Amino acid sequence: MKYILMMNGKRSDFEGYARWSKEDLQTNVAFMREFSKELKDSGVFVASEGLGWPNEARLVRAGSKGEPITDGVFPESKEFLAGYWIIDVESSQQAYAIAARLSGAPGAGGTTGNMPVEVRRVLSSHCDLGL
Amino acid sequence: MKYILLMSSTKEGVSRYHTWAQSDRDTHMQTLGAIMKELVETGEFVATQGLTEPNEAKVVRGEKNGLPVTDGIFPESKEFLLGYWIIDVAAPDRACQIAGRISAAPGPGGTATNMPIEVRRFADFRNTAN
Repeated sequence: MKYILMMNGKRSDFEGYARWSKEDLQTNVAFMREFSKELKDSGVFVASEGLGWPNEARLVRAGSKGEPITDGVFPESKEFLAGYWIIDVESSQQAYAIAARLSGAPGAGGTTGNMPVEVRRVLSSHCDLGL
Repeated sequence: MKYILLMSSTKEGVSRYHTWAQSDRDTHMQTLGAIMKELVETGEFVATQGLTEPNEAKVVRGEKNGLPVTDGIFPESKEFLLGYWIIDVAAPDRACQIAGRISAAPGPGGTATNMPIEVRRFADFRNTAN
């Protein structure tokens, strides 16, 4: 079963991250590299990407002629996807255990970030929707 | 440049989708399928994935001993990712153009869903992580 692990943050979380010391950033990046390597070595890794920052995010709707109408204004409470990992595991419990490790990634001052990680099963087909 | 187009909705929006007529859902999916086929032909397609419904969603945190603490309660306003498209395009405008086409996909009665599509560029950590 494939799951997607998503790290989300508000704009203020991203601003907080930008204030981390260089050391804290390096420790976090080293953890993430090791984490991805472990996922690859254990054969559960499918894909992972980090996204550009919220200031670049745009919301697009179709105009009456199908032309794109772009908007870059979001409410304060808006949660932006920061990055994701897709894993292929045997059970939801295994997905939660991996998500917990991610949540324990080192944050500012060497404390664990304790970031919430959203765990969602991805569709293998639209039959999964039960419609 | 790689972009991800994110389609999200609240639980309420997902429940509304359940009330669509089967023929409307089929037309909607056919349109999305045609857009995907075009993107494959232009070489801009990278990946697409749909997610299962919000009732299965969990938020996980790690306890001190590293054990997962799961929570499935979300605020009403929570936006759940429904699915995404990853595209590799020559310019940001092209990413917005494709997002506009997805937003224009027909909904109930054939009118455009006009769903907002979030357009985000992928980070290049080779330049930013050092």
